[in-house]
Amino acid sequence: MTDVSENTEVKVAVEAADIFVNSYYKTWNKENGGKELAQFYVKVNPESPLKPDITINGNIVEDPTDLDGLHRSQPSKTHYEVEAFDCQVVNTNFTVGAPEALLEGNAAGKKMSILVMVSGSVKYPETFWINTDCYLDSSAEETRGFVDNVLLVPNWDITKKNEKEKKKWLVQSQTFRLVL
Amino acid sequence: MLQRAPIAPRGPRNSSPSVRSRGGIQKRNKAGGPVRVDRDGDLVMDAIAAGDKRRSGKGRLEGPTSSRGAGRGRGGPSRGANFGAVKTQQAIARGLETRQANILESRITTGSTTLQIDGLSSSKAASNPDGGVESLLAFLERKASGPNRNVKIKKSHKKGDSVFVTASSEDIAEIQKLDGFTFAGATLGIQARDSPSSASRPEKSGDKRKDEVSSNAMEIKERLKGVLAARYNSDLKLLNLSALAQDPGLREMGVFNGTTTTSKIFPALMVVCGGLFKTRQEKQDAIVSVTLADNDLADVGDVTALAQTFPDLQHLDLSRNRLAQMSNFDAWGAKFKHLSTLILTGNPIETQLATLKSDIMKKYPYLEILNGVQIRTPEEVAVALETAKSPILIAGPDFRDVGQVGENFIRQFVVLYDTDRSALLANFYDAQSVHSLSVNQNAARGHKNSGPIAPWAPYIKQSRNLVKINNLPTQMTRLHRGSQAIERVWSTLPATRHPDIQTLGDKYLIECHALPGLADPTGQSVRGVDGLIITMHGEFEEQSESPGKPIRVVSDMLSLRAWGPLALPKLPLNPQANTTIINTEQQKQEAMAMQLVERTGMTPQYSALCLTETGWDLEKAFMAFTANKDKLPADAFITNAAR
Repeated sequence: MTDVSENTEVKVAVEAADIFVNSYYKTWNKENGGKELAQFYVKVNPESPLKPDITINGNIVEDPTDLDGLHRSQPSKTHYEVEAFDCQVVNTNFTVGAPEALLEGNAAGKKMSILVMVSGSVKYPETFWINTDCYLDSSAEETRGFVDNVLLVPNWDITKKNEKEKKKWLVQSQTFRLVL
Repeated sequence: MLQRAPIAPRGPRNSSPSVRSRGGIQKRNKAGGPVRVDRDGDLVMDAIAAGDKRRSGKGRLEGPTSSRGAGRGRGGPSRGANFGAVKTQQAIARGLETRQANILESRITTGSTTLQIDGLSSSKAASNPDGGVESLLAFLERKASGPNRNVKIKKSHKKGDSVFVTASSEDIAEIQKLDGFTFAGATLGIQARDSPSSASRPEKSGDKRKDEVSSNAMEIKERLKGVLAARYNSDLKLLNLSALAQDPGLREMGVFNGTTTTSKIFPALMVVCGGLFKTRQEKQDAIVSVTLADNDLADVGDVTALAQTFPDLQHLDLSRNRLAQMSNFDAWGAKFKHLSTLILTGNPIETQLATLKSDIMKKYPYLEILNGVQIRTPEEVAVALETAKSPILIAGPDFRDVGQVGENFIRQFVVLYDTDRSALLANFYDAQSVHSLSVNQNAARGHKNSGPIAPWAPYIKQSRNLVKINNLPTQMTRLHRGSQAIERVWSTLPATRHPDIQTLGDKYLIECHALPGLADPTGQSVRGVDGLIITMHGEFEEQSESPGKPIRVVSDMLSLRAWGPLALPKLPLNPQANTTIINTEQQKQEAMAMQLVERTGMTPQYSALCLTETGWDLEKAFMAFTANKDKLPADAFITNAAR
């Protein structure tokens, strides 16, 4: 087994987490970003042992494509902002769903599973509150906090076909929650 | 005090911040002077009383200010015998919290009065750009104010040579005393124009034609106020607008003569009514129910204004009109979002309600009762409200434990972290365990939670917030590997006290599910083994060594906390056998238990128990639950499931 140096481990993980947090929430912020959300996740494939496990505010989302519906249910101009994040490597040699040829470890850290914890805020447009009358006179309430815990795993497709466009890391597990 | 997420609990529907504005109203009543009107006027009420009522009100106004201003006099609701006749009204308001000052009534009957002031045109001030109105008003206010009274003119307008001013009744009395005073070389003639009662009407018609229009408008307004006052029931917070065409007050005004219908007078009524409230909240608190029964309405287009005036209405009775189809409601658009009760009895549409139910439910997302039939449970409405608050429904914790491994771990973790961190490390951590923490200093929090933020210093030193920490060496030094390293960090962190997880479970929000592909410490499984990912949101107090209050922190801001413990890959591996070999039957049963949890709100333990007793048949278990739910102890249910 080839070991990943601690240096590489941290570097690769931070880079992966950074790319994820900087693109994923932007997609949520996009007007029609709902359809693009699914591409951040491992695919639902009955033959693969690798399945996405998504919980948003306690609701289990069976298929990443269902996130489009959640995205649509939000008022437009909802804005997610990442305020803090941290990451750790869970397994330096993650192999679930990996092709037979890729069971060996990778010293460059390409096969890690990386846990990312994000703390941020969601801002709903003011009109939303007026329309729903939830808070008649407290515009400050429109900003809420969230915590998101995400497990990034290697995108096996990219190793297979070496396609440049694809994401290197995909979300296998997500526990998102508005906490404020 | 800092608390965790102000996510509204699921139960109470009217958790809107009504308390504060109610206080505001009360204060105004006390300070603003208007005399509280006797209940009798209110209770006579049915249609006869418009004129009488106003007169009696007026009589009181001139009397000495009552000292019971703020009293919540709830005397004699039994005297509302006249109301017995109006069953629907009570029905639609039933179950409401009726303890509410009769704001509308007091506003209506103690409303402003008007004076006509002549003489300005012959004064020197008449050459002012505004014709001297402003200086006249200043003069009146100054002269009328005494040492204990600050007279304030609310409204004024110039009509011809006269100026009409409106003020509170007490102020008007003071201003009236200025009759005959000299203003800028002219003698002022001040006469009351208030309460254009029926007695003063004939006299007026013979009066100056010029003032006819404005005083007419004023008079109509006063009369409409009278009509409204007679139709308001403060106990039920009900505005009874039924059978308007038969209203003696309105008939007397002649508004229904000829072809005039409800559609003409209704907007005026609504404008007058809306004008009685300073804020939407006041209005919302004072009028919860409206009945428009017996108005011969074929389309709500005739009463469109209701939606603008009462957008927050909860109970609406449209009995015995001619509403026949959904399109008859189009004029209200998507208004009345908060409608909870809708009565359509005696309308042609009634026969189609079965087929239209879903359309109606869609139109009124929080409607609970349609024609006396419950179409949504309060729980469903609570969920819908919750959804409205955060577009993505906030559901209870998704806690998919495996063989109680997660639960047992959390119970020990929280206690040990507070009391014996070394033992915690010894029990659950090993040389490969990794820990880090990050502080989100920017975290949003509701402005209700404006208490001081705890000093972050001990945590900031270790914060691995990657938004800020961008250089690799720091990223590495703030990642602590192995129990010894973790112990060193933990020893620098303040002692903490977490709420007791057994008794104060609602202070926590814990979720977990299985995570595949962890490294197998034995090296046997090439594809790795399963673990659990546990996410815990909570709060804690620091036990500060220096004297002082323990500090309460919003846990969510402390995303710093428990990063390692939440995330640690090694943790679940301790009870290795349990986690690595998961029998599929057990998984199935757990999924089933979770479904039952979702449907019943029972705890997973009780759900599992229930399922065991019914042979793991979900439907049977649900039926058993339905039959016995009243007998279940409180702890059988997930507390505060909304979190």
